[in-house]
Amino acid sequence: MIDQLCDLSARAVFFPVRHHSPACARHVRALARAMKPAAVLIEGPSDFNDRVRELYLPHTLPIAIYSYVRLEDGARRGGYHPFCEYSPEWVALRTAKELKAVARFIDLPYADIANIDATTNRYADRGLAQSKFVARLCQRAGVETFDELWDAHFEADRDLPLEEFVRRAHQFCLHSRLMDDTVSESDRRRESFMAEQVRAALKEFKGRVLVVTGGYHSSALFARLNGIDFHGTKDHANEALTPDEGERGIALTPYSYERLDSLRGYNAGMPNPGFYHQAWRDAEAGRTDTHRALLARVAKVLRRAGQPISSADLIAAEGTAQGLAQMRGRTVVWRSDLVDGITGALIKEERAYNMRHPLLDAVHEVFRGGERGELAKGTALPPLVEDLKKQLKEHELEPRQVPRNVDLDLEKEADRERSRVLHRVRVLGIAGFNRTDGTDFAQRGNLVKLWERWDVRWSPDHDATAVEAARYGAALLDATAARLTERAEAVDRNAEEAATLVLDAAFAGLSNLAGEFAARLAAIVRADADFFSVTKALGHLLYLFVHDHVLSTSGRNDIGALFAEAYARGLWLLETLGQPSGKDRDATAGVAALLDAFERAGDALDFDRAELVGVFERVSASTHTAPILRGAALGALWTLGESDAHRARASLLLFADPARLGDFLTGLFALAREAVQRNPDLVVAVDQVVAAFGDEEFLEALPALRLAFTYFTPREKHHLGLTLLGALGIQEAASLTRLEVTASEMAEALAFEGRVWDAAKKYGVRLGDES
Amino acid sequence: MAKKPATKPAPTSAPAPADSGPSANLQRPAAEVLYATELDKLAARDAAQPKPKGWKLTPRSVLSFVLGDEELGLAPKFVGSRAFLERAIVALATNRGLMLIGEPGTAKSYLSELLAAAISGDSTLTVQGSAGTTEDNIKYSWNYALLLAEGPSERSLVPAPVYRGMREGKIVRFEEITRCPIEIQDTLLSVLSDRVLAIPELDGPERSLFAQAGFNVIATANTRDRGVNDMSAALKRRFNFETVQPIGSIEDEMALVAREAGKMLARAAIPVSLQPDVVEVLVTTFHELRHGKTGDGKALEPLSTAMSTAEAVSCAYAAGIHAYYYGGGEVEPAHLVQHLVGAALKDAPDDVKKLSGYFNHVVKGRKRGAWPAYYEARKHLP
Repeated sequence: MIDQLCDLSARAVFFPVRHHSPACARHVRALARAMKPAAVLIEGPSDFNDRVRELYLPHTLPIAIYSYVRLEDGARRGGYHPFCEYSPEWVALRTAKELKAVARFIDLPYADIANIDATTNRYADRGLAQSKFVARLCQRAGVETFDELWDAHFEADRDLPLEEFVRRAHQFCLHSRLMDDTVSESDRRRESFMAEQVRAALKEFKGRVLVVTGGYHSSALFARLNGIDFHGTKDHANEALTPDEGERGIALTPYSYERLDSLRGYNAGMPNPGFYHQAWRDAEAGRTDTHRALLARVAKVLRRAGQPISSADLIAAEGTAQGLAQMRGRTVVWRSDLVDGITGALIKEERAYNMRHPLLDAVHEVFRGGERGELAKGTALPPLVEDLKKQLKEHELEPRQVPRNVDLDLEKEADRERSRVLHRVRVLGIAGFNRTDGTDFAQRGNLVKLWERWDVRWSPDHDATAVEAARYGAALLDATAARLTERAEAVDRNAEEAATLVLDAAFAGLSNLAGEFAARLAAIVRADADFFSVTKALGHLLYLFVHDHVLSTSGRNDIGALFAEAYARGLWLLETLGQPSGKDRDATAGVAALLDAFERAGDALDFDRAELVGVFERVSASTHTAPILRGAALGALWTLGESDAHRARASLLLFADPARLGDFLTGLFALAREAVQRNPDLVVAVDQVVAAFGDEEFLEALPALRLAFTYFTPREKHHLGLTLLGALGIQEAASLTRLEVTASEMAEALAFEGRVWDAAKKYGVRLGDES
Repeated sequence: MAKKPATKPAPTSAPAPADSGPSANLQRPAAEVLYATELDKLAARDAAQPKPKGWKLTPRSVLSFVLGDEELGLAPKFVGSRAFLERAIVALATNRGLMLIGEPGTAKSYLSELLAAAISGDSTLTVQGSAGTTEDNIKYSWNYALLLAEGPSERSLVPAPVYRGMREGKIVRFEEITRCPIEIQDTLLSVLSDRVLAIPELDGPERSLFAQAGFNVIATANTRDRGVNDMSAALKRRFNFETVQPIGSIEDEMALVAREAGKMLARAAIPVSLQPDVVEVLVTTFHELRHGKTGDGKALEPLSTAMSTAEAVSCAYAAGIHAYYYGGGEVEPAHLVQHLVGAALKDAPDDVKKLSGYFNHVVKGRKRGAWPAYYEARKHLP
């Protein structure tokens, strides 16, 4: 079969591509020019065929065909077919035009299979990259990843003749497919459809036909057309297509290399578009020194960032890269050679395992490339702009020349819906919409009235920012989700920022945190080593999970999962916290947040009580821990009913030291305010400890003691005071003496008196009744 | 050798020369002696291949020697990423030195020995860096009796490793370079950039020793000791830095620890075998605490000690001995816990806290294999 498959003189030639591979693009063009086909059939959405013309407008690449659909269950799905300058599909389209051949997309409309295939990048390589064959081949060839394998055998060798390239690619793709256990249902449906299109084209056109599809499908299409029994070509009888007849659409939209490069997992395609972009342009110009242009760019980025990179450094990087290419059996320096060359020659310190390094970040920035697509004038506006207009109109929020205030009462559903739209617009950074006032959900100071005030006005940047935001997605909601995911990518281990993103998602009405976004948020929380930021995040999430009633986030599983993550992380960090210097208030607030989280949501999320109690026990007993935390832990135990007044009194004696007493009590009172009031004799015990202090000691302890008692309201303090007086046998408090002198004179007098007493004591003189 | 390369995997086939001949009674023969047959095999394959000047093997064969090659029947000798080794070998073929840095116990010295043996066929040109290292130890010194009798001449000169490496075109190893004072380190500057060693005492052409092709320097440094003496920027510029990472795959590390600890126990004639679930518990603990991350991605507080594979081996070894003499002859998780503290944690009280945190938050939740018993044994922690 392989020989027939590789027969370039057949009437229908199947060209196998890896999407976004410049080598495939070059060879498909050469093949098309040589065979002069009547039609070029390309893997792409066939529902765009009547608008293929639009693709020939003078766009700035990368752009994408975006298909979207609302499924019957209400879920929205969107899929992209992205094109860049060096995409084989794009080059095939251009070459078809050049040869005056018919260009046609032959894949199933995305909307038809969106219900069984959620992959959003329609040009991903999951068939190849995940194959067992590839894994084994990598091992044999001594390379570490599929991308390197591909580079070594297809991209880096520019002199490979067309026939050899096609044979190699077919062999590679055929084996990858044969070693796969199953061919997915969506792939089988798509192949069945594509085969049908090819068959029809062969009837329709007299001349030859060039079929450009992913290499994974080429062999299957060939087999189907020739009636060969082949892996994954059997269609089950009951597999008649049942497309979802929901709302659907298809349109061009700008894309960017950042998005192309940031795809991971199932969605991944070829990485480093910036590199291949340069490689493609250089090959077009007949140059072979792609790595030099990139190295120069890396040097520029680094120098801009203030890193001293000398010419000698660059020579060393170049030399190492050359050496690596040679050792790897290449005639030109390729992607991994350059990365490794730069890594080896320029990094002058330890590289932590799996960690980012500023220098490598610069390399990745250059390799990713900064190209952003722009649609040519005359193209229909990107779908996002249409959706935005529609939604703003629907909710009477269109920006006008005259600025206006929009006040929203979040208790009303209609206003809530308007608020969501406004928040989506805000997250996407579209000019002219600002929230100027309203309930502060991050501070949660006053949650009695839930409202918002927005300033809405027309801005000259409105259209530009809207078109700019179109690269995030075609519908307002999807684009918001994509933008938030991008922001999450940029957050580096700060749980509080992650929680703020969740708040934003809630404001924007994202009904669930999509997989990638949720995973990224969880990763941020897990990586955060700052107790204070984690517990603040816990506060935000607790609000959303338990208390909220306008954002409809209460009890949601995705929020709960993140909340549980923050809770576990907070507990772990509490135990290793030790001395929170200068952040006493935050420390008690953190412990309170953990306790609150357990009490409000512990049942719903199945938190382990024993674990929590264990942590508090260990913290309260640890001698390395600051007194305020020990007090707080003890207070938390008391509130949980795991400790009692007796133990609190006993602990008090451990802290009978003016430098520590106040801190300990601050922690204790902050967490066990109610329990303390029920047990007034604790105050008596405090009194005993304080009474034992000398004057100097008392003055030292005073500020912290004052702080500790601020946790009680004046009324509670009065009550405590009465209890204390009662215990001391004083019936009625004498009114305070009015001083005839100023406070500072009084203080001086007291200090003088103190010195007199000390002197007297030193010389063994008894003055009056000292006891 | 100041350090034992405990993380090296055992050769799968016992190399012949170690069993007979003059090296039979050596405690630890040099790599080029131990693996002489393998090196010969590779040299035969490379006979007609173009090689960097002064090299015994092609860069590709050096790689095969270190990482192993199934087709030629070469045992893997070092666990590490291929790209990392490629970078290291290529650095040696250029005019820059190679600096291997990393945590203690990541087999840096062992790797430099393997590279020197494969490239020059000689891994013995070694300078051991310390606070007391002088220029004499690095370049050359004099036989003072001859110096007094005949004056300075090549005959009275006593060559040190760098001198010999330059003259013979071989790789010189400089162990623990950052333990030397900066001034001493900087004696390498002209050697590395101009490839010439000035000997002002001699006259005529002998005043300058020009390096033969094949000469280069592999230096190693502990990242934990960087504070002892830093390196001058000028010298840094002349080296390619490569970080030797701890073993990335937990399976590889488990296999290695089981094998090495088993070998050590066998050498001590202790008939204790390490059960896979016990090794799993031990290696997972080391692996997770080293990377500050659990297997399922939760962040941990990394310990201040290195938690190297070498320490995991010695911990398993100590637990084995303990089990044999004081226990039932079976290594239990409790034995591991007792030796974790001595073998790995040294004396950092904060680490003990972090370790008990690890037990309470991570170990507790694991219910399979030896984990529950391991959790029970936490009472042995101080």
